[in-house]
Amino acid sequence: MDQKSLKQALAARLEQDFRRRDFLRTMGAGAMLGAGAMMGGGAFVREAIAAEPPKRGGTLTWAQTVPPDTLDPHFTGSLAAIKIHNNIFNGLLKVVYDGKAVSFVPDLAESWEMTDGMTHIFKLRAGVKFHDGGVCDAEAVKWSIERVKDPKTGSPHAWMVASLAGIDVIDALTVRIRYSKPFAFFPVAMNGATGRAGTIVSRKAVEKYGKDFGRNPVGTGPFKFVQWRENEMIELERNPEYFEAGLPYLDKIQIKLVKEPTSAVAAIMSGQVDGMDACPFQLMPMLRSNANLNVYGELEGNYSFLGMNNKRAPFNDPNLRLAIAYAIDRELIVKQGYFGDASPAYSLISPPMSKFFDPNIAKSGRGQFFDLKKAQEYRAKAAIQGEINPVYIATEAFTSNGGSGSRNAQLIIPMLAKIGIKVKLEIMDPAVLTKRRNASDFDLYDEAWQADLDPDETIRPEWSTGVPWNFVGYSNPEFDKLIVQASEIVDVDARKKLYYAAEDIMLQQDAPIALLAHTKVFKIFNKRVEGFKYVPVDLMNMHTVSLKA
Amino acid sequence: MARAFLTKLLQTLLVLFIVSIVAFWFLKLAPGDPVMMLLGSEYSPAAHAKLTHDLGLDQPVAVQYVDWLGRFVQGDWGKSYITRADIWTQAVMQALPVTLALSAAALAIALLVGIPVGMIAALKRGGPVDWIVSSVSLLGSAFPSFFLGIVLIWVFGVALGWFPTMGFVRPWEQFWSGMHHLALPAITLAAYYCGLIAITTRASLIEVMEKPFINAVRARGEPMWRVVGVHAMRNVMMPLVTVIGLQLGGLLRGAVMTEVVFAVPGLGMMITTAVLSREYGVVQAGIMLTALFFVLVNLLVDQTYTWLDPRLRSR
Repeated sequence: MDQKSLKQALAARLEQDFRRRDFLRTMGAGAMLGAGAMMGGGAFVREAIAAEPPKRGGTLTWAQTVPPDTLDPHFTGSLAAIKIHNNIFNGLLKVVYDGKAVSFVPDLAESWEMTDGMTHIFKLRAGVKFHDGGVCDAEAVKWSIERVKDPKTGSPHAWMVASLAGIDVIDALTVRIRYSKPFAFFPVAMNGATGRAGTIVSRKAVEKYGKDFGRNPVGTGPFKFVQWRENEMIELERNPEYFEAGLPYLDKIQIKLVKEPTSAVAAIMSGQVDGMDACPFQLMPMLRSNANLNVYGELEGNYSFLGMNNKRAPFNDPNLRLAIAYAIDRELIVKQGYFGDASPAYSLISPPMSKFFDPNIAKSGRGQFFDLKKAQEYRAKAAIQGEINPVYIATEAFTSNGGSGSRNAQLIIPMLAKIGIKVKLEIMDPAVLTKRRNASDFDLYDEAWQADLDPDETIRPEWSTGVPWNFVGYSNPEFDKLIVQASEIVDVDARKKLYYAAEDIMLQQDAPIALLAHTKVFKIFNKRVEGFKYVPVDLMNMHTVSLKA
Repeated sequence: MARAFLTKLLQTLLVLFIVSIVAFWFLKLAPGDPVMMLLGSEYSPAAHAKLTHDLGLDQPVAVQYVDWLGRFVQGDWGKSYITRADIWTQAVMQALPVTLALSAAALAIALLVGIPVGMIAALKRGGPVDWIVSSVSLLGSAFPSFFLGIVLIWVFGVALGWFPTMGFVRPWEQFWSGMHHLALPAITLAAYYCGLIAITTRASLIEVMEKPFINAVRARGEPMWRVVGVHAMRNVMMPLVTVIGLQLGGLLRGAVMTEVVFAVPGLGMMITTAVLSREYGVVQAGIMLTALFFVLVNLLVDQTYTWLDPRLRSR
């Protein structure tokens, strides 16, 4: 493949045309005029220009129900933290969304060029400075990415740069990143948000604070870190030297750490805070009906599922697992588990990954769907014919996005009773649930994988043989082979075929899990907040946000 | 006097020592560990083992305890595993003053409302006022504080917009804003005590008012306000102080729920969050401070007795 067609293929793959599945209720006054991304060739898309100039100044507060774990992007394991990181740091790339499609565009870079499938050249912006005054040049970028790879660092994101062969500083503002094999996940890994590995941190600050860098984060982003008071708030202030001219508009951001979602809802309804980063589904109708609030939320790259322990009886029996997969009425889960703010999941690929998503999946016969007759047929073939009493572990705690507490469990249990499976529900606190889940000490549990941009991200680290998140213990070498193949090519149609084949094996033949739903993820703001750009990967980017007088 | 003080001090230290051991062991008994929480979605058995070792959590509990105790008494309270917050700063400098302010405000409201209301009920015994006071007091002390908190938030915060619904402003930084923020949580927390204090005051005052010495005082022609306010109330104070002292522990318990509902960053909130994420060091610090608070309150109550009742003063 010559360079041009290769680039086109990659560009096509990247602009996965995240179709808008749901009417975007509101857009701020600073609506996007079109952020269609041009890949390569040094093209860099200017961002939207608001109709009237946004007001400078003011403090925006948002209530966040899940506190961050650390403000060091190379160590976080939490989406709650990434929402904050993304205002302090930048990546080589960033995710933008024009209301229809998600794309990756250069952020700290001015251009991104691929010389072959494995080598990427980034021309950096000139004059970008860290909050501590250090210069963000090619050396800084090289050091930051190598920090993630260095085993001594112990970053949990090192896998994203596992096949990184080297980084060359060509000149002060040019870096060449070499991988040892094509890596379809590369643009995700190098974006500053969910990618984490490609987020550029200040070497000076890391060396100064050591392990405490996560409490003293220094990046290049539109806001500087000021303070973090436990269980109270995190404060950021405007970075006057931010490289996007004129941005940001806000003087300050205060992230109020509120544990109880009901309290956060009360706070936003009474105008005490300007925003909420997430909200339990059952409280959404109340917020939607409030005339002072704008609700942002679409189906994102996620799926919730019922995990079955493949490693031990009774669910080491594929017939029994298939019986469950067909016994679940996903429409009911959408209606009662997610209050309508979701769509049934037939496949692992979420609707927003539209280059891969099959819009006719519901009628295609592929994937998993509700069919009680089929469920009974498979139940009749199962090894154990008498009553089965599996243990279902769940927690009541609100887990930010996709979490339904024990609601899904309560809905699923009667569905399983119809095929002679009498579930024993055990409710526990999240720490215990995490421990039992990680130790595969359960028969059934449900959870959701969130904020994924690519089928690779949503399938491979979850369901390959022996990977850490594969708590159900699924293993099928044929499936493994297909998804590895799909991650090492860039042609969309070829990848799609491989993923569909892999899904057919996993969902219809092995059924290690039963899919439930693709859910919306919400951001709520007071109407005095303008210019918020919703990106369907659970971000709270305040770059372009301003407050009405 | 010095000897009595020394004895008290040794008793206090012994109590704190026992509390520290029990708390440490109980925490370790709870399933789950901070490393799992720390790794979040990045969990892998290898990362888990490495981090457990790095944090010293693979050591025997006794070793961990001795290590903790040694550093704790020297003032090195360590850092939280997950957020790496300095525990001393978090617990003593940030959370403790918040809880003390909230508890003090709640106690003040409870006393200022509970005692007069109880007195009125006692003096109007059997009347409609007494009936209303007794029922409301009972309701107040039976109402779960988190539920009352949510009701107050929706009525006075959201619907009427009179008070902030959540958060905390330190009154010593911004007095009026601090008081404004403190109002709803303090009322929520005070509700239980108000009822309790009113009921206790009423019952004790009724009993005292039937004592012969009250008749004697009245016979001397003292005005009613002196009879009740000076002579009778002095005798009510003893049972009242006992009840308040005993129930101050309950105040801290109530503070946990109240702080979570109102997002008040005090000790209760700190301990709840820390327990859920298995932040042993933070929970331990919270428990030690709470235990110290208990002991000090009891010492204070003891002191108050001798002040209220001259017969108890040591000769």
